[in-house]
Amino acid sequence: MSTQATAPAKDKVCWKEYKLHIAVLVIILLAELVIRKQTLTFSNDLYGSLSIGFQPFVFAMLLGLIAYLAKPIKWVKEEESEAASGTMLIFIGPLLAKLAVASGYSINEILAVGPAMLLQEFGNIGTMIIALPVALLLGFKREAVGMTHSIGREQNMGLIIDRYGFDSNETRGVLMIYIIGTVIGSVVIGPLTGILANVLPISPLAYAMATGVGSAGMTAASLSTLIDMFPQFETQMSAYSSMSNLLTQVDGIYMSILIGLPLCNLLYKVLEPTLGRITKTGRRNAELAKAEAEKAKEAE
Amino acid sequence: MAKLAVKKEHLKMSSVLDWLLMLLIFGVLTLIINTFSYKNSIVESIPGMLILIGITFVGLLLAKLIPLKIPAIIYISVIALVISLPVFGPVSEFVYTSTNKISTLGLCTVILAYSGVAIGKSWAEFKKMGWRGIVVTLCVILGTFLGSALVAQLVLKMQGII
Repeated sequence: MSTQATAPAKDKVCWKEYKLHIAVLVIILLAELVIRKQTLTFSNDLYGSLSIGFQPFVFAMLLGLIAYLAKPIKWVKEEESEAASGTMLIFIGPLLAKLAVASGYSINEILAVGPAMLLQEFGNIGTMIIALPVALLLGFKREAVGMTHSIGREQNMGLIIDRYGFDSNETRGVLMIYIIGTVIGSVVIGPLTGILANVLPISPLAYAMATGVGSAGMTAASLSTLIDMFPQFETQMSAYSSMSNLLTQVDGIYMSILIGLPLCNLLYKVLEPTLGRITKTGRRNAELAKAEAEKAKEAE
Repeated sequence: MAKLAVKKEHLKMSSVLDWLLMLLIFGVLTLIINTFSYKNSIVESIPGMLILIGITFVGLLLAKLIPLKIPAIIYISVIALVISLPVFGPVSEFVYTSTNKISTLGLCTVILAYSGVAIGKSWAEFKKMGWRGIVVTLCVILGTFLGSALVAQLVLKMQGII
């Protein structure tokens, strides 16, 4: 699936898409010099105040999307969008290189936090702990396993398609997370990081380790927010983030095969009969699924 | 699979040139932001940018030339990590100080501007997804991030590092 999607873009000669590059130049200038960083502050007598920063990259992304979607802007359309997705594979390189330089330079510090670095990879179990109950309450059935066994990026999508087949409910679920995650992931994780870092008593260094979620765009957005909030830890956080991203690239798929998917299936079996029947949609979908299973049995 | 292997053997000159020119365009865009928004001197930033572009280029080449299914981003990260190890003394020092002149936030802005345009293609599909899918996606992102952060916090505390 993912190779199919990227294949035509790869063969394209992207540098010639001058319209795209000029549009991006305008977008980044607007985002960095005109809009700049915006901070939303909520204050409440009871809980104190909460500030969420929206860094220029959030606006750059939104402006890019708007440029494509807005009908009057004819400068950026399908062809440019196609070329832009071809560039993503290349452009993420310099950023990852910069972060990895911090990793190499502070290798001794990374070795010192080795245990935390390795064990936080298992934190991905948090995905299903939070998301599976919610998915069940919202009435999802087997789709929920595809949706919540991992963060649902390319590798995970490949795994689910391989395991359950392209027309399965599980694949429908993982595709849903993949598409929605592609569109909102990087925009959402920046402010989300900001809120969590404000609200919870967790060290910025621990958050930095958690930024290696399996999508380079999300890693970048999350880490940038942390750097903006805690500039004094920039090198250390970049080092941790890069190492955690590298680990996830290497072990992510095995984590899903060996832990994520089996555990998610188990959790589904335990939770579905209760959580999946609380809401009306949940009960209705359970009956639909039952009827479908019976029909399949009869057909056999 | 067979197709993939064949592709690796024929590394097209045109695509190599495309990478180089793309990286140069990216470098120029980033330097503009790096100078005007993040106030780094342009002269001091050029070596760092060239290093980052060079590493990326070599990583892309290796991914094509080495017949293993390893993505370019892994080569890129490993090369950058190795050349900045402290054992390389002055080299590592130079790589670190010069790339440090390139703002991570600035790099992010340029990448995500392209990604915003790229996302446009998925918009039609995205609109069909419905709010339930969006809610679950938010929980997935929150769960993955928070889960890892909690484990990291716990272990760092136990090690007495924070």
